[in-house]
Amino acid sequence: MSSSAAASAYWRVAGMTYLKYANLCADMVRAALKEPLKGKAKVRETIYFRQSLWKDGVPQKQVITDITEGTAGKLS
Amino acid sequence: MLRNGAQALGALLRTQGAALTESLVQQTQGPVVEALAAAGATRGVSTLAVKQRMKSVANIQKITKAMKMVAASKMRSAQVNTENSRGIVAPLVRLLGDLPAAEGTKNVFVPITSDKGLCGGINTTVCKYTRAAVKAVQDGAAAGEGAAAQENMLVVMGEKGRSQLQRDMRNSIFATIADTTKVRVTFPEASAIAEELLKTEYDTTRILYNRFVSAISQKPTIATVLSPDALERSAEAGAAIDAYELEGPDRAELLMDLAEFQLATTLYNAMLENNCSEQSSRMSAMENSTKNAGEMLGKLTLTYNRTRQASITTELIEIISGATALAG
Repeated sequence: MSSSAAASAYWRVAGMTYLKYANLCADMVRAALKEPLKGKAKVRETIYFRQSLWKDGVPQKQVITDITEGTAGKLS
Repeated sequence: MLRNGAQALGALLRTQGAALTESLVQQTQGPVVEALAAAGATRGVSTLAVKQRMKSVANIQKITKAMKMVAASKMRSAQVNTENSRGIVAPLVRLLGDLPAAEGTKNVFVPITSDKGLCGGINTTVCKYTRAAVKAVQDGAAAGEGAAAQENMLVVMGEKGRSQLQRDMRNSIFATIADTTKVRVTFPEASAIAEELLKTEYDTTRILYNRFVSAISQKPTIATVLSPDALERSAEAGAAIDAYELEGPDRAELLMDLAEFQLATTLYNAMLENNCSEQSSRMSAMENSTKNAGEMLGKLTLTYNRTRQASITTELIEIISGATALAG
């Protein structure tokens, strides 16, 4: 418990949310796999969505998040 | 000389008579031919229109049939994914409890809808439930004490929900998200969206989606996710989490992590459930429209054959009556 507490403090101090931390760990595990499994696991890394923030009932600029070739540690 | 003259007269009369009869025939046949031509023309126009209609209905039927097939095959894979994802939310619901009546000053509603139409009434249902839920929360706050401080925000997922909700709830929309199912729904994707949701600094988040029950049944569902503070309050109020012992200085952090993880998993599950519901709803909608197109085609074929038969009968009657008029 104490070791995990220290680790959690570490990434939280770096400004990461738990979700970022967990997904980064998952990416690392996927990156460590060997080939037949690696390709299969890689598709589970894809992120694709469009979003736009609204202000006073008007949509602002549209942002497309597209990580279809996988994050593999790129997720900051 | 006289005989010659008589012969000449006879010949003249004969030729004249022939000409007379010819002209008579022409006079009597003229209107008939015209009428026939007119009948033929009208027949051509009316049957042509029906024929075109039949062709277009048959084409639409082909399209709806193909869409049904596509939706059915997509539903099958979506169903597997959905059923697998249920295992990830069930323990969290057991641990933290589902608290739809939770109150907070900042309420976020996340209606999950589809990007494409032609899938029955599932998007309308979600929008209807969203309006009702916002109203219920507002009324609940108005009855309580914190009416002034309350804030309701919408994060709409899917194009269809956006176009429906921007009509009357335009000012409470915080963000819109679309194309989540374009590539595929993954947990990292749900996490990325959950992080956008975290930026709203909500007290309660209510995710509205269609839960997939079976291929012919989808249930509109509200999943509530609380912020760490609200979780702490719910624990004090005696929620399920109170049965577990959480000690030490990590308690706040642990609850924060749990709340984040719960948001992402609930969103992940909701996205998959809604995607599966969309496909199954589209499948039944397209099945119905294929059936309706078939019925319509049957009716049109009947009309077409009836008009064709009728015009043939009219023509026959006209020809026969013309012939009898000539013979008589």
